Amino acid sequence: MSHTQTGGPILSVAGVSGGYGGADILHGIDMTVGPHEIVGIVGPNGAGKSTALKAIFGLVQVRGGAIRFENRDITGWAPNRIVRCGIGYVPQVDNVFREMTVAENLEMGAFLRRHGLDEALERVYTLFPDLVEKRRKAAGSLSGGQRQMVAFGRALMLDPQLLLLDEPTAGLSPRYREQIFQIVRDVRAAGVAVLLVEQHAKQALAFCDRAYVLASGRNRAEGTGPGLVADREIAQMFLGG
Amino acid sequence: MDLLSFVNFYLIPGIVLGAIYALGAIGITLVFGVLRFAHLAHGDMATLGAFLALALVTGLGLNPWVALPFAMAATAVIAVTLHWLFYEHLRRRSAILTVIASLGVALMLRAVVQVIWGADSQSYVGGITRPESYFGIRIKDRELWTLGATVALVIGLQLFLTFTRWGKAMRAMSDNPDLARLSGIDTRLTTALTWTIIGLLCAAAGFFLGINTELKPLMGWYMLLPMFAAAILGGVGRIEGAILGGMVIGIAEECSVRFLPAEYKSALAFVILLIMLAVRPTGLLRGKVL
Repeated sequence: MSHTQTGGPILSVAGVSGGYGGADILHGIDMTVGPHEIVGIVGPNGAGKSTALKAIFGLVQVRGGAIRFENRDITGWAPNRIVRCGIGYVPQVDNVFREMTVAENLEMGAFLRRHGLDEALERVYTLFPDLVEKRRKAAGSLSGGQRQMVAFGRALMLDPQLLLLDEPTAGLSPRYREQIFQIVRDVRAAGVAVLLVEQHAKQALAFCDRAYVLASGRNRAEGTGPGLVADREIAQMFLGG
Repeated sequence: MDLLSFVNFYLIPGIVLGAIYALGAIGITLVFGVLRFAHLAHGDMATLGAFLALALVTGLGLNPWVALPFAMAATAVIAVTLHWLFYEHLRRRSAILTVIASLGVALMLRAVVQVIWGADSQSYVGGITRPESYFGIRIKDRELWTLGATVALVIGLQLFLTFTRWGKAMRAMSDNPDLARLSGIDTRLTTALTWTIIGLLCAAAGFFLGINTELKPLMGWYMLLPMFAAAILGGVGRIEGAILGGMVIGIAEECSVRFLPAEYKSALAFVILLIMLAVRPTGLLRGKVL
């Protein structure tokens, strides 16, 4: 998808470096996400994929570069401020309140919201109709796929323009994996751009509009999914052959 | 011993004691669930609450039951202040540091009580209260009030946690603190709110113990073990478990007097705790977060 058609990227990451504690994990990564775009981040273990998402969401200290979202410099902002300006984040693990009901999980996603709770709930239930009958069930009692719906739904309650997904299919069977990809498509269809980290690189590339290949905290390649898969060198080095 | 005298001499005092333990155990379970540490100052905070009520009774001549809400509010303010002074800056360190800090706070609170009110036993009202008889069941007014107030507090707390925005935030923070932060929940305010509730419950537990027995600077400290035993027995993190655990320990302690010398009464909570930890460490109702 071309940015020029839609007026430029909503997220741009330029030369960002940073990490936990003293050591940098990211060494100057660049990426952009356009409106309504699904962008993947793939690469070998330890490439800094999840760290990149966390840096965008303010969970990792950024020591260099700039992160801009909707023409605002959000570099170094705290997560609760970033959440307000329209980015949702779904962690890889522990991404639901297990003992709380589905409805309460969604409500907590809208904690910062003073008005329009019912409308937001309605939108999420429209996107994930499976959750309607489960809304009084504890989130921890749901299947893996449904639990991911709750996690996505929680992050969508504040109407973000961009959703960050950290390995949404980790630990799920191939059948569920396809279900999650379908959910991501549904999220995009609802007008939300998605930036996701994916361990299953080939599947992810087939599914994303564009992808970045990271290695050792640096950009190694970018392009459309099929283009990256076709690149023999990239495929062998980073995508497991 | 017939059933009626069992009820009158063991069961009713046991239920009253159990209600007091339950209030304390709920507080312990709240600290553990939301803030993730074992609060050793819990008993002494209850003592302080009980003596604050005494100050209002002796100083202003208030009826003890009128003094109770004010003492609860004052203890809540003190609990939040203690958190900011002694626990907040340890938040990112290992939990054991906060536990030890709370032991220090316990010793401090006890010393303050002893300095202000002395080391002697005191009571809210002088004289002997005769129990009323209802169809042969003898129960004192203050025991009825204690049970009624405990039920009201527990129901109020449950409604708060289930239906209000901030109550749900407390449960969310207990369930998954990282996700709570990511969702934009103000964890500092939620923590302060948790301490407010803990202060309220502590003062109530101390007051009920004081009005049903007498006020001593060590009353709360001696209550600490049964309260912890009750929280663990019921399953840490579960409010209904804390109530169940409190009742089991309270009733068991009162009944034990029939078989054991009275000095061993408080050892019983310890024995129950040991057995429970050996047999079912997660508690009667499986422990969880709130």
